[in-house]
Amino acid sequence: MSAPRVLVIVPAHNEEESLPVTLDELRRKAPGLDVLVVDDGSRDRSAQVARDCGVPVVRHAVNLGVGGALQTGFRWALRHGYSVGVQLDADGQHDPAYLEALLEPVLGGACDVSIGSRYIARSGYRAPLGRRLGMLLFSSVVRLTVGQRITDTTSGFRAYGREVMEICQHDFPKDFPDAPLLIDLARRGFRLFEVPVQMRAREAGRSFYTLGKSLYYPYKNILASLIVLLKRPG
Amino acid sequence: MEFLSRTQLISALAAIGLAVYVLDLVRRRRLSEEYSLLWVVASVVAAILGFSTPLLRAITRALGILYEGSTVFFFGLAFATAMLLHVSVKLSRLGQENHALTRELALVRYDLEQLRAGRPDTTTPGGGGNAA
Repeated sequence: MSAPRVLVIVPAHNEEESLPVTLDELRRKAPGLDVLVVDDGSRDRSAQVARDCGVPVVRHAVNLGVGGALQTGFRWALRHGYSVGVQLDADGQHDPAYLEALLEPVLGGACDVSIGSRYIARSGYRAPLGRRLGMLLFSSVVRLTVGQRITDTTSGFRAYGREVMEICQHDFPKDFPDAPLLIDLARRGFRLFEVPVQMRAREAGRSFYTLGKSLYYPYKNILASLIVLLKRPG
Repeated sequence: MEFLSRTQLISALAAIGLAVYVLDLVRRRRLSEEYSLLWVVASVVAAILGFSTPLLRAITRALGILYEGSTVFFFGLAFATAMLLHVSVKLSRLGQENHALTRELALVRYDLEQLRAGRPDTTTPGGGGNAA
């Protein structure tokens, strides 16, 4: 077996402005890594812009959300012989400079999923009070249910090992890629690990998590976490 | 024919109307057989309860309900709840299938684009050339 191949999966929904910046930075800071853009039903020129950067693009005909985009990315990665998939947002929040640190525990076999956390080390990121409370809440939910200490449950900067991708390409709490997904993975016996990272403000475009959803978010995610616990482990 | 109340008369007439409408939907192929069966059964039950006062009385007494109109509402509500749950289950499955199809379509479209561009062999593990 040759060295593990790593694929950086970039889910993008209407990100034509930030995609070139993100892809260019990836090329500069992580030149050895292959990249796939999953265009999640964008209405703008995201797919074309990514292709112009010389990156392969798979396009969803309709918008499925981050979870669905990740699933497509996993499947593509497995079909093309990759053994590790990294999720990196198109909006420029995630600095490719941390990729090496994020990948290290997965490549070294220390864990199955590594999560870039804004909250472990002293970082430049200062969340508003509401967000900090939410983070504490979901961190507690994960700890109480599966006994893992995860400080940054909403981080979308993660690396997934081969077995995780194999399971997740079929079965995935696709609408709940945060705490419920982590609980689901931990219950399946996967080892989660956090790596300190710093995140930046968004380059352009709209976040998947808009302000209007901020009240609904804790409600649906707590419920979804409990429902994930009810599900028969498949 | 004896009607206990206006409620019973209204529900009986509504049941007939419903049955006619359901059959018409089936005739025009707007409703699949699976659903039409459920709706036909429901409207027949409602019609029987509506027109047969002795039966309605007997069921009402057997269930310990005080007022016959409540029996009609009880069955209506029970049916509506069951139907909503059934539709939610169907909708979940439809959503999952739709989700899976969208993902598969994206991958197939990618392969097709590769083939058209003269770069086949994209599904062989290790065969995907995609360095930027």
